[in-house]
Amino acid sequence: MAFTRRRLLRNGWGIGAGLLTFAAGWTSWELLRPLAANGAGGKISLGDPSNYADGTATFVNEGRLWVVNAGGELFALSQKCPHLGCRVPFCESSGRFECPCHGSVFDIGGEWIAGPSPRGMDRHPLSLESGVLFVDTGASEDGPDHGSKNYLSPAKGPACIESA
Amino acid sequence: MNDPSTVTTTRDGLEPEIDPVPKGVWQRLRHTEVWQSVFRHPQLDTPRGRALQSFSNVFLHVYPVKVPSRVLRLRYSWRLGYIATVLFTILLVTGIYLMFFYTPSVTSAYGDMQELRTDVGFGQLIRNVHRWSAHLMVLVVVLHLVRVFYAGAYKRPRQFNWVLGMGLLVITLAFSFTGYLLPWDQLSYWAVTVGTNLVGYVPVFGGILSDLLLGGPQIGQATLRRFYTLHVAVLPLALALVLMIHIWRVRKDGFAVHRGSSGAFSEEATQRPGATDPATDQPVDMEVDGTKRVRLLGVVDRESVTAEERLTDDSVFTWPHLLVRHVVVGLGVVATVLALGVAFSAPLRSIANPNLTPEPAKAPWYFVGLQELLSHFDPLVAGILVPAGVLITLMLLPYVDRNPATESRNRKFAIAAFSAVLLIAVTLTVIGALFRGPGWTFVAPWDHSYLEL
Repeated sequence: MAFTRRRLLRNGWGIGAGLLTFAAGWTSWELLRPLAANGAGGKISLGDPSNYADGTATFVNEGRLWVVNAGGELFALSQKCPHLGCRVPFCESSGRFECPCHGSVFDIGGEWIAGPSPRGMDRHPLSLESGVLFVDTGASEDGPDHGSKNYLSPAKGPACIESA
Repeated sequence: MNDPSTVTTTRDGLEPEIDPVPKGVWQRLRHTEVWQSVFRHPQLDTPRGRALQSFSNVFLHVYPVKVPSRVLRLRYSWRLGYIATVLFTILLVTGIYLMFFYTPSVTSAYGDMQELRTDVGFGQLIRNVHRWSAHLMVLVVVLHLVRVFYAGAYKRPRQFNWVLGMGLLVITLAFSFTGYLLPWDQLSYWAVTVGTNLVGYVPVFGGILSDLLLGGPQIGQATLRRFYTLHVAVLPLALALVLMIHIWRVRKDGFAVHRGSSGAFSEEATQRPGATDPATDQPVDMEVDGTKRVRLLGVVDRESVTAEERLTDDSVFTWPHLLVRHVVVGLGVVATVLALGVAFSAPLRSIANPNLTPEPAKAPWYFVGLQELLSHFDPLVAGILVPAGVLITLMLLPYVDRNPATESRNRKFAIAAFSAVLLIAVTLTVIGALFRGPGWTFVAPWDHSYLEL
C-alpha cells in the first residue's frame, strides 16, 4: 500500500483517537477506583491476642469481620458470605457460622460444611506487632476450598437456621 | 378544526385557506406575529395541512406523517414500546420531584425517605408512583421484547434496532437496580448486596468491577453516591440517547409486516405491472442515456417499504388517528400508576444495618430468578455464564436466525427455543420470589409471603 497523505491523515486520526480513549479511560479509572481507608479497607488493631479464647468468635465491627480462635489458631474471617455477600452470623448454640440468606454453614475456622457457598469464608491476614494483633482489611484471601476439614467438629447443639 | 365560515378560497386546488380577515379573539390571536412565529404552520384540516403540521412540529416529527392502518390496531404492537416510553417520562418527572427532597448520604437518605412520607405534601404518593412505574417499566420492556420476538419483527432490516432494544433493556435494569439502593433501608441494602455480589463472579475482572461499582469493599457512602450519580445523570442520558436512536430507526426501518415461508418480497415482485412514472410517462426503472434511473424509493431500504404499502395505499395520517390512540393509552398508563400509588405504598423497612441480614435476603424481583439458579448451580455457571450467554445470544439473534419468515408456523424451532428459555426464566423468578423463605427453604406463599418489591 502506497504511503499517501490521505493514509497518513487517516492513521493519524486513528492513533489520536486511540490515545484520547486511553487517556479518558485512565483518568476515569483514577477518579473512580476505590481508595484504601482506615477501618474497613485499612489496617486495624485487634488488641491482645489472648483476648480471644479457644472456640470463640468475636465480631469486630470496625473491620466488619470475625476474629475466631479455632483450636488455638487465630483467623480473621470476613463477615461476608462468599456466596452472595450476606452477613454470616456465628451461632452460639451450634458453634458454627450459619448464613441466613441461602443456608450455607461453616465451621469455627470458616471452612465450608454445607450450602451453596463456593468455598469457605474469606480471610484477612493477621500480624503481630509488639504483642498487639493487627488485621489488614484491605487484603483478603479466598477461603478454603470444599473438602477442607481441619477445624470440623460435631455441632455443639441445635442450629440457628432451619436449613443448617 | 377550522371554522367553515373562514374558508374562502383554495390554493393549488388542494386545500382551503384561512380567511385573511380574522374574526373573534381566537382568530385574531392566531393571526398575530407572535403566534405565527411560534406555530409556523396553519392548522388546516386537510391532508396537506396535517402533513405540514407534522413536518414543522418537533414533537410530531417523532412520528411519520402517515402510518399503515394496521398500526392503529391494538394487537399490532400492544403499544408496549410506547407504554415503556410513557413510563420513562413519568419516572423522569416524579424523579425530579424526589430529587428536591433527597440527599445521597448514608446519614440522611433514610431520614429523607421518612420526611417524604410525613412532612411533604403528596411526597409519599410521588414516591409510590415512581416505584411502581419503575417496576412496571421493567415488566413492559421485557414484554415488548417478547412481543417483538414472537412477531419476528427483529428480522431484516430491523436487526440493529433489536440490538438497541436489548441495550435499552440493560439500561432499564440498571436504572431500577441503582434506584433500589437509594432509600437506604434493610430491603434496599441487602437486595443490592446480593445483586452486586453476582458481579464478583465475573472471571478475572470480577473484583475490579465489583470495587468500581461499590467504590470499596462493601456497600457504603461511596456506593450510595455512585448509584445516585448513575441513577440521576448517567443512565437517564444513556437511555434518552439510545431511545432516540431506537425510535428514529422504527421510522427509518419501516413498520413490521408478516412474511410467509419464503419471506422474500422483491421490488419486482411488488411492482405493479407496466407501472409508469407520471412525470415522464416512462416505464419505471428504465435506462435513460445508458444510466439507470433511480427512484426516490431507491434510497430507502426496499424491505422497509412493504409490499402492502406500495400496492395499496392504506396509510392514514398519524395526526389524529395514531396520536389520539397514543394519548388515550398514555392517560391509561398515568391512571394505572396513580391508582397503584394510591392503593399501595412503596415499602420502607428499618434503616440499613450491615450487621443484620434479614431472613431471607432477596435480590430485586427481576434478578431473583438468577438467585434461584445460584442456589442450584456453580456460581460461575449460574451467575455469569447462563445470564451472559442468554444476553449475548439474544443480542446476536437477528444475525444468527437466518430464516426470513416471520409467521410462527414457519419458524417453529426459534419459537420453541425462545419459549423454553422464557418459561425457565419465569419459573425460576416465580419460585425465587414467591416460594422461598428464610435460609432459602421452600415456603408456600399461602403460608407466608416473602415477596419483596
